[in-house]
Amino acid sequence: MTRLIDRRMGIFLTGLFILTVALPIGNLWMEGKPVPSYAVSLMGKYLCYALLAVALDLVWGYCGILSLGHGAFFALGGYAMGMHLMREIGTRGSYANATLPDFMVFLGWQELPWFWHGFDMFWFAALMAMVVPGLLAFVFGWFAFRSRVTGVYLSIITQALTYALMLAFFRNEMGFGGNNGLTDFKDILGFPLQSDRTRVGLMVASALALAGGLLLARWVTRSRLGQVLVCVRDAESRTRFLGYRVEHYKLFIFTLSAMMAGVAGALYTPQVGIINPGEFSPANSIEIVIWVALGGRGTLVGAALGAILVAFAKTLLTGWMPEFWLFALGALFILVTIALPKGALGAIEGGLGRLRPRSTTATKEARA
Amino acid sequence: MFLRALTFMLGLWVSALPLAAQSFDDLLTRLPQGSFSDRATVVSALAATGDLRAAAVLDALGAGELHVRPSDGALLRVTGRGTNLRGTDVLTGDAVEVAPRSTEAVRVNNSLRRTVRAAMGVLTLRDPDPMRRLNAAEAAFRAPDPEQLEAIDLALDAEDDARVRAALIQARATTILRGDAPVAERVEAVETIRERSPRVVIAALAPYRADTQPEVAEAAADAVATAERTLQLWSQAQNVWFGLSLGSVLLLAAVGLAITFGVMGVINMAHGELVMLGAYTTFVVQNAIRVHAPHLFDWSLLIAAPLAFGFAGLVGVAIERGIVRHLYGRPLETLLATWGVSLILQQAVRSAFGPNNREVGNPSWMSGAFEIGQLTITWNRLWIVVFALVVFAVLMFVMRRTPIGLQMRAVTQNRAMAGNMGIRTSWVDAMTFGLGAGIAGLAGVALSQIDNVSPNLGQNYIVDSFMVVVFGGAGNIWGTLAAAFSLGIVNKFLEPYAGAVLAKIVILVAIILFIQKRPRGLFAVKGRAVEA
Amino acid sequence: MSRPQLLLDGVSRSFDGFKAINNLSIVVEKGELRAVIGPNGAGKTTMMDIITGKTRPDSGKVMWDQKVDLTRMDEADTARLGIGRKFQKPTVFETHSVEDNLRLSLKGGRSVWDTLLHRRTRAEDARVAELLDLIRLSDARNRPAADLSHGQKQWLEIGMLLAQDPQLLLVDEPAAGMTDAETMWTAELLKSIAGERSVIVVEHDMNFVRELGCKVTVLHQGSVLAEGSLAHVSAMPEVVEVYLGR
Repeated sequence: MTRLIDRRMGIFLTGLFILTVALPIGNLWMEGKPVPSYAVSLMGKYLCYALLAVALDLVWGYCGILSLGHGAFFALGGYAMGMHLMREIGTRGSYANATLPDFMVFLGWQELPWFWHGFDMFWFAALMAMVVPGLLAFVFGWFAFRSRVTGVYLSIITQALTYALMLAFFRNEMGFGGNNGLTDFKDILGFPLQSDRTRVGLMVASALALAGGLLLARWVTRSRLGQVLVCVRDAESRTRFLGYRVEHYKLFIFTLSAMMAGVAGALYTPQVGIINPGEFSPANSIEIVIWVALGGRGTLVGAALGAILVAFAKTLLTGWMPEFWLFALGALFILVTIALPKGALGAIEGGLGRLRPRSTTATKEARA
Repeated sequence: MFLRALTFMLGLWVSALPLAAQSFDDLLTRLPQGSFSDRATVVSALAATGDLRAAAVLDALGAGELHVRPSDGALLRVTGRGTNLRGTDVLTGDAVEVAPRSTEAVRVNNSLRRTVRAAMGVLTLRDPDPMRRLNAAEAAFRAPDPEQLEAIDLALDAEDDARVRAALIQARATTILRGDAPVAERVEAVETIRERSPRVVIAALAPYRADTQPEVAEAAADAVATAERTLQLWSQAQNVWFGLSLGSVLLLAAVGLAITFGVMGVINMAHGELVMLGAYTTFVVQNAIRVHAPHLFDWSLLIAAPLAFGFAGLVGVAIERGIVRHLYGRPLETLLATWGVSLILQQAVRSAFGPNNREVGNPSWMSGAFEIGQLTITWNRLWIVVFALVVFAVLMFVMRRTPIGLQMRAVTQNRAMAGNMGIRTSWVDAMTFGLGAGIAGLAGVALSQIDNVSPNLGQNYIVDSFMVVVFGGAGNIWGTLAAAFSLGIVNKFLEPYAGAVLAKIVILVAIILFIQKRPRGLFAVKGRAVEA
Repeated sequence: MSRPQLLLDGVSRSFDGFKAINNLSIVVEKGELRAVIGPNGAGKTTMMDIITGKTRPDSGKVMWDQKVDLTRMDEADTARLGIGRKFQKPTVFETHSVEDNLRLSLKGGRSVWDTLLHRRTRAEDARVAELLDLIRLSDARNRPAADLSHGQKQWLEIGMLLAQDPQLLLVDEPAAGMTDAETMWTAELLKSIAGERSVIVVEHDMNFVRELGCKVTVLHQGSVLAEGSLAHVSAMPEVVEVYLGR
């Protein structure tokens, strides 16, 4: 059997560890603050994206389910945390209402909708950030996988799912702040969100979540179950004839992945300070796919790196020459699918000649 | 003939009304005097004289522009304000010098204005122009005045134009109903009125549902209820029409996809952007026409359509040759690569034309609306439905009856065999993709008439059009047609209950559930080949 | 006493009006080796699809071991029940190693939790080594299955079938792409398997069928045209007409 932490994972986790130590020191304790606070939050955001990419890699890279709706699970996690942060504002809002968030007072609502109850407790919100996306994925997957919707059909209906959710969350009547979403957060667990220490804390938490997510994903994919997932990806029908209930496996990994995406979303919201229905837009979900494709699907670490790389490039380009960003992203989609089918990591490792050219990524994984 | 009838009528009229015995000029001098109700009497009498000069007087009075010059009692029509006054003698129509404050306005209130309108109606009931008589009858129908019943009766006796007669009969009915005629006559009036169109029936009869005469109240209530049911039916028809209209838009957006996705199995995420390119082609063509040949503006869409088809088709062929070709058999990768293309096209158009909406005008034959019964149909929507069906028919013809269509179907069913038989499969692939893309361009021409032409145009349709193709059953172009129209109609029937956004959500969720039940769509291609 | 392992009784199935299977009745005894032959489109593949639960019959009975109704089951159910299937076109898990292909096929827990918490045992290792030996792929055990030749993939798939330890093996054209020597060896292998297990072989290669030396069922247009020894059926004029004599 292969090791839980192989060389690739080892290098990545070491790098992540160095980053999580170096950035806080540079931000909090060094003279002249060589690391500005916004950079800390930015890195925290990238790490959330990386976790989201790992989640998508689990279903796409290992099980062949190309979800074009993973942004929905991420956003639902983000909304769950956002609801908690709204409740935390309490009387500090513009209308100084102890229970109702500002937008509800503005809409003339008299009492808290039932689904907002419990979110005043952090543990509940944190739980819901996993349970709600997980439940949605479970119900959706139960229908879809049982009736053997596969391939592009599945991709298209996952896209429709996130599109429908986007339309729904844009409605004021839904009770999630409509167009504006949830914002103006003040603090989390009593720590002010604007303070450097809180930002560093959230960044470190994101790093830990990413490391945990990677290890969990790695543990799952190197198990016998992970091997079955690859069987499903490569020859679904054959897998059934061996007696494996393909729909159960898909459902398991899809739900697990959605929960990971939810955690990423929950960590994302306090660091960017807002969550709105735009997060549900189909374009966002497809962008996640390119992170994974660029990094190399079925590599986990590659997906995480791809996310950080693309997000970083986006930050640079949209600030520097915004017109160019969509050209670059579009070209990236074309380039990666045609020229780098195994992703950058696959290409680099293949180029190093460490592995035989005919074997594919997942086998390398198995033998690494 | 007409004049004789008029004279005869006038004679009767004069004897019927004592006030009318006074001369026209006499009445004119009395007009500015007395209370509003006195004036009302005079107005009615003026109308009853049948003197056509009264029309100008009443018209000025109704407009609040009738002034009297106290120095000589002359009636003038005065327009303008302050020092910039213009006067006309109401009787002669000659221009008259008017100094400020040299005249006094003949004041009118709302009830007097109503009387004036009714009196005008009576006057024009005898106008030589049948159109004006018709309008007058309609006016009398809408604002019945029991005192004019006899005038209407007289006009009716003399009238020989069938349409005007019908209108007068209706006007007579409302007038009788308004007055204190016997129950039987009023009920009969209700029965006459209910022959009108439902909206008119409701407006005319709704107040009488609470009439003091129970028979009249009952008849009115019944007539209104019937009219409301009819209206309800028409509103369903309107929904169907809106649904067909939405369906034709969906069909246009989706039918190109039905080719690339349904027939070739290629997911083209840039399909929406090809639609957008078609819309921008229309914009460019219209701009060129505005500058160089404005008289051709009405032809702009017909000129733009082949250009849009050609341009989008060429872009499509380029996409197929440059990208999709390398990815056959890898549908998910194709999806991602074409998404990349869509981002580039969006940004290219944004850079070239700016991010804002572009104005694309409607040619005259696409502006305005007409009515069928209670149904209002706008020309642009109607032409888009026609256009969608024509595009669909031509597409079916190409697929079924032409050599290229035969080759396309052959390559779809068995690529290797088709290749062996000498069909250049790669050329057919490019042509098929180009055809799908060209149709997207045509859709853009149509959508430019009803939607905002902006770089985001395509994004708004991509999810919907995929839903249509998947719902209809990929590979089945007839299924796309059925799916587009049924989704359109269901959507429009849901909208009154759920609102536009919720209706859309409901439909999306319904389709998601439907696909779980029938993964191959409404009109699945059944058989072993599909399951393999 | 006859103990039917598998019984098809009056089974029909049509696709868009085309009757792929038409009132088909077949009985396979426990431990029996049976060859099914027939021209293209005779319904061989659909018959296997129906037995394994991939396709549901429109009418008729499909009974397993005299008590289980197979028409209510799907592929995974029938596989767990003990029906193994080898496809005409060898299908193995290309990215997994030869050894992993076998391990994944071994009889054992198939649920999500079983596989998530699965640990290797000595018994498994021994069984895998045994199978690798049998299918002559011991040297290739760590190579990805994608690297194997067509014949080797056939072997691997047979090995996977055996690893499942099924009660009934459905084998679709096992000899395709094999050398004569390999074909003979395969026939021997199938004969040795029969006895404790039932085997249904679908084959075009008459030499191979002759080598099996078992009862033959001839399918034509979705139903049984003839049944008996190869010599017996080859002598029947209607069989000669539709199949052998063409």
